[in-house]
Amino acid sequence: MARFIKPLRSRLLGRRKSSSGKDNSSQDQAVDNAFSNQELQNQDLSADLQANLLHIKEILSDCSDVVYREFDFAQDERIKLAIIYVDGMVDKMQITSQIMRSLMLDAPLVEQGEEFTRARALTLIKKRLLPVQQVEETNNLGKVIDAVLSGDTVLLVDGHACAIINASRGWESRKVEESQTEMVVRGPREAFVETIRVNLSLLRRKIKNPNLKIETMRLGEVTKTDVAVVYIKGIVNDKLVTEVKERLNRIKIDAILETGYIEELIEDNPWSPFCSLNHTERPDRVAAQLLEGRVAILVDGTPYALTAPLLFVESLQTPEDYYQRWPISSATRLLRLFTLILSLLAPSLYVAVITYHHEMLPTALLLSLAAQREVVPFPAFIEAFGMEVAFEILREAGIRLPRQVGQAVSIVGALIIGEAAVRAGLVGAGTVIVVALTGIASFAYCYSASISIRLLRFPLLVLAGTLGLYGVICGVLTILVHLATLRSFGVPFLSPVAPLSAGDLKDVAVRVPWWAMLHRPRLIGMANPQREAGGLKPTPPPAGRKQ
Amino acid sequence: MPEVGKIDSKQAILLMVIMVLPTGFLFVAAVTAHLARQDGWISILLATLVALLIAWLAVSLGLRFPGKTLFQFAEVILGRWPGKVVAFLYIWWYIHMNAEVLRQYGSLLVAAFMPETPISVFMLLIMAIAAYAVRNGLEVFSRVNQLILPLILVSVVILNILAAPEMNIKQILPVFEHGAVPVVKGAVMPAAWIGEIITMTVLIPYLNKAKEAYRIAVTATLITGFFMLITQLVDIAIFGPITAAWLFPGLDGVRMIHLANFLERLEPVVMVIWVAGVLVKISVFYWAAALGSAQWLELKDYKPLVLPVGVIIYALSIMAHDSLLDLFAFLGMFWGPYALTLFIVGIPLLLLIVAVIRGQGGSRH
Amino acid sequence: MRKLLACLALLIIMAGILSGCWSRKEMSELAIVLGAGIDRTPDGQVRLTLQLARPGALAGAGGEGAGAKEPTTWVISETGSTILDVQRKLAMRISRHINWTHNVIVVFGEEAARHGMRQYTNFFTRSPQTREITWILVAKGQAKDILETTSRLENSSAQDIGYLARAKAGYSVNFKDFKVMLATKGSNPIASRVEIVERGVSPGTEKEKSVKHEGAALTGTAVFREEKLVGWLDESETRGLLWLRGEILRGVITLPSLTDQGKEMSVEIMRGHTEVEPYYDGESVWFVVKIVVEGDLLEQQSSEDITERDVRKAIEKEISRKVEEKARLALEKAQGEYGVDIFDFGVAFHRKYPKIWPELEDRWDEVFAGAYVDFTVEAHLRRSGLIGKRGTER
Repeated sequence: MARFIKPLRSRLLGRRKSSSGKDNSSQDQAVDNAFSNQELQNQDLSADLQANLLHIKEILSDCSDVVYREFDFAQDERIKLAIIYVDGMVDKMQITSQIMRSLMLDAPLVEQGEEFTRARALTLIKKRLLPVQQVEETNNLGKVIDAVLSGDTVLLVDGHACAIINASRGWESRKVEESQTEMVVRGPREAFVETIRVNLSLLRRKIKNPNLKIETMRLGEVTKTDVAVVYIKGIVNDKLVTEVKERLNRIKIDAILETGYIEELIEDNPWSPFCSLNHTERPDRVAAQLLEGRVAILVDGTPYALTAPLLFVESLQTPEDYYQRWPISSATRLLRLFTLILSLLAPSLYVAVITYHHEMLPTALLLSLAAQREVVPFPAFIEAFGMEVAFEILREAGIRLPRQVGQAVSIVGALIIGEAAVRAGLVGAGTVIVVALTGIASFAYCYSASISIRLLRFPLLVLAGTLGLYGVICGVLTILVHLATLRSFGVPFLSPVAPLSAGDLKDVAVRVPWWAMLHRPRLIGMANPQREAGGLKPTPPPAGRKQ
Repeated sequence: MPEVGKIDSKQAILLMVIMVLPTGFLFVAAVTAHLARQDGWISILLATLVALLIAWLAVSLGLRFPGKTLFQFAEVILGRWPGKVVAFLYIWWYIHMNAEVLRQYGSLLVAAFMPETPISVFMLLIMAIAAYAVRNGLEVFSRVNQLILPLILVSVVILNILAAPEMNIKQILPVFEHGAVPVVKGAVMPAAWIGEIITMTVLIPYLNKAKEAYRIAVTATLITGFFMLITQLVDIAIFGPITAAWLFPGLDGVRMIHLANFLERLEPVVMVIWVAGVLVKISVFYWAAALGSAQWLELKDYKPLVLPVGVIIYALSIMAHDSLLDLFAFLGMFWGPYALTLFIVGIPLLLLIVAVIRGQGGSRH
Repeated sequence: MRKLLACLALLIIMAGILSGCWSRKEMSELAIVLGAGIDRTPDGQVRLTLQLARPGALAGAGGEGAGAKEPTTWVISETGSTILDVQRKLAMRISRHINWTHNVIVVFGEEAARHGMRQYTNFFTRSPQTREITWILVAKGQAKDILETTSRLENSSAQDIGYLARAKAGYSVNFKDFKVMLATKGSNPIASRVEIVERGVSPGTEKEKSVKHEGAALTGTAVFREEKLVGWLDESETRGLLWLRGEILRGVITLPSLTDQGKEMSVEIMRGHTEVEPYYDGESVWFVVKIVVEGDLLEQQSSEDITERDVRKAIEKEISRKVEEKARLALEKAQGEYGVDIFDFGVAFHRKYPKIWPELEDRWDEVFAGAYVDFTVEAHLRRSGLIGKRGTER
């Protein structure tokens, strides 16, 4: 708490920025010093095996999952070898059958006429006796430690100040299965998993093009998480890639556990309820966005990938739109637009009309609603607010439910809150219907947008309760103005609607057929606007052609 | 340059249209009908023609000084101190006009929709949102406008169509019953409204393609004139020559919609159109006033001025009139001639003549 | 600095919001006016009668059948010097806010109408809550009695009368129409007449006998000179009025059969169109009214062969005659007995002769009363239902 008060106070009292600036840089130092392995990076291995082992054991002291296996070289017992690996992160079969077997049991490695010397041992081992698919030689202690902790096996040879890092990663991981949060009826079902290499392979399989570039970096001073920046060179705007990499490099944080950490550190609008970066766990979605000229960011340890830039209209789009035919896709897009507006405005409009604008209702409806409301003791606003909160509670609880009690709780929710509350006269049936409809509607479109919209429902509800329809309109206008100020990585958030790119409107409220989507979105795919050849619409063969 | 944003031609047209329409729909019809009775629509036609001339005037003037707004090239033409006086007059005009608009805005909401709510609540809230928009620059409220104006225009068209059963087009006869003089008198106020296209002189430096300025001004004037004409015609068709008996015939026209026992009482739609449209209209004038003040004081950025200008506008709107009837009287009698002679035609014409005589100004077209 | 301003702004906004939502009215705080009645008391005061909805009764009315229902409306009256004055007094007797937005009808009592309507209509046009599409009706007798009736089919008698007015069986006038007619110099206002008549019977059950009901119905038209009521047109004459004003929506014309004595046939009118052409020769004014009628023969008590062209022509001629007859009935009453132009002939004259109008407009009713009116009626028999010639021959 003290951390917040000090800067706030200094700012309120108008102290100069430089003083707080100094605080910041000292905090930076603290993050660096604790966990950076600057020292390690600067150290080398020694030629003595035992010295190396001791040193490494000291650094990795109290790490009981690190295994040190010393053994003799088959060729020459005088040469001692040792491998270091972390139990649980390596593929043990690989170690025993590929590394240890060949070194401990196999035939000599020199051919006729060659001489075997201790000096050449390392080179010969590396070239001839390690049937491992990926090896790297290094004499840097920092790299060795990193390798061990990443699941590689490090081979140390006595007498050489070099280590061989063998790729041997293999651990228990979730297999590629169907996405739990972004489901489609037609289309691929694969979703990303927590291992970044697998995820990248899923992308590679969709885009078999040498221009699909994957640049990796490590972020997080303590966690040293692998982060990959993916883009298609030639389609993407180079400035965008540079910007993304710059923003990523600026991050100085101890841990990156999920893309959400990165998102909040590089987004354009930290104070807005709307996201500037899209997140998804579907490889087909990421692939489609790469093909439009966007950049993807993947993080090891989470199935969610980020893509930049983001446009507001994407909250109306799902991948399935592009797989189903255009009439149904267009219809469902329009429906989604309607549900978006509904989930934002329905409770507010309901409260506004019932409390302030009774003239809007047809007389018959008014009388029947009035009949309901005779019974209810609360004002409409309190009732709607309470029901909304109740629904949010239900929703949150539903996510965290253990499966066993799921059934019971949903019954409780439906019966008690819905039925019994209405019967008891605590809430009106109309309110329950409106709130339920709103809740369901918020699931009909992109989940990340629905989170922002959910938050905004409540201030609008308050405005509706105090100023009626006028309050709702003002609230909506404020949101619109706010949306108009947002940019995501340089692209205005509301394009292609405002500023208007008429060509891009083909994909906003409706989805025109694939033979009409000739261009990439104008502001994102600027480098390579044409995505499709024209004239692809299927037509009957010209008359007179023999069948 | 205090404003760094740039807008493209489509946005500019839409911006110039919304600068006039919302209050034009609701406040002008009664005054014109009062003077010209059932020939009010001819007055609007006349006003549009006059406005086209004003548009030409504005753009010719503006294009002579590319990159400079009215506030700046007034100094170039007339010299530093007279120019500053002219610029100050325009800043005053924009502030005054905005205060009037704000007052109209609040008055309609209180009179027709929520009588118990104090007018300042409406005005404060909309000024706050407008300040937020203006603070973020020209591009922001242009984008909001792009979203809103098409919806507004479509709604207006639909509402007019829905009111068709109540219309009797014969009510515009007989034409020119009282001669041409009432028609001309009735054209003064709409001309002052549609003539607000003179704001092009402030907008031209911020267009993406300045040479399209003529096209923009003419298109905007025609669209504005068209919609005001339709509205006047519809009002006369519904209410006849006594249209002036209602303060807000447009609103009452919507109240008459009555279809299938379900589609009735649609005036909250009018409220939505009103609030959204006036928000952007206020933003445009607010922006012009803030920008002008910044340029007058030769500041680098107009953002710090947004709040003070807003406060002045709000205070003025409260003090200027003590009742809705006073507002109407002022608008009907005084505003038309005042705005037209001085700000819309008078000073710009003077500036143009002086500029031509002195041979100033760059590219002619 | 920015934070300080933000806090200040927030405080101001909160103060504004929390201090009270001024226009807020919960639905259960509303007294919804469905119908209103204006009467003039003998001492010159206004009596306002309000028919208020009782939504609570409607809630329970779902399941009950023929059992004793709670009344769905509540009627209350009070007197005062102006309508707003009365409303204030009523506000002390009604526990909720009076809400006019769903008002369907305003009934004016005969006395009030004879005295002058302008006195009472201003409230309804100024107030933002009242709507111009509310129907105006004139009661034969007291408006209060009309509002105190109930309806067997609808939830309230006000809605019942409103639907009747909307169906345009007679000439239905709303506030806007009335105001326009009153302000126009070439026309005089009219309004529907409403009175209490016998309306149907509730069939009896084992426990109860059948009950005869009385209710309000539209039975003609009220005729005004400027703002004052001068007389009535009965239902037949109202038909004529509709023909002359060109407002025929639907209707039936019954003619005697051409061949069989004593038997009749009925033609349902599908479309009707009227044009009034005024003529002026410097001295006198006359009018030619052209009416076009289209109808279907839907009932035939006799058995002429309507598949024959001559028969149809004869029928059409008869239809024209009947229409002219009806129109003349109304015309005579208006010209002769009352001397008021209620057909907007003056408006037509104004449109055609705008220069001459200013001379005549002040004494237009006199001019109208003496004007000659000629009719040309064109009738077309288009269809005859699903049967052509009646197949009664053996």
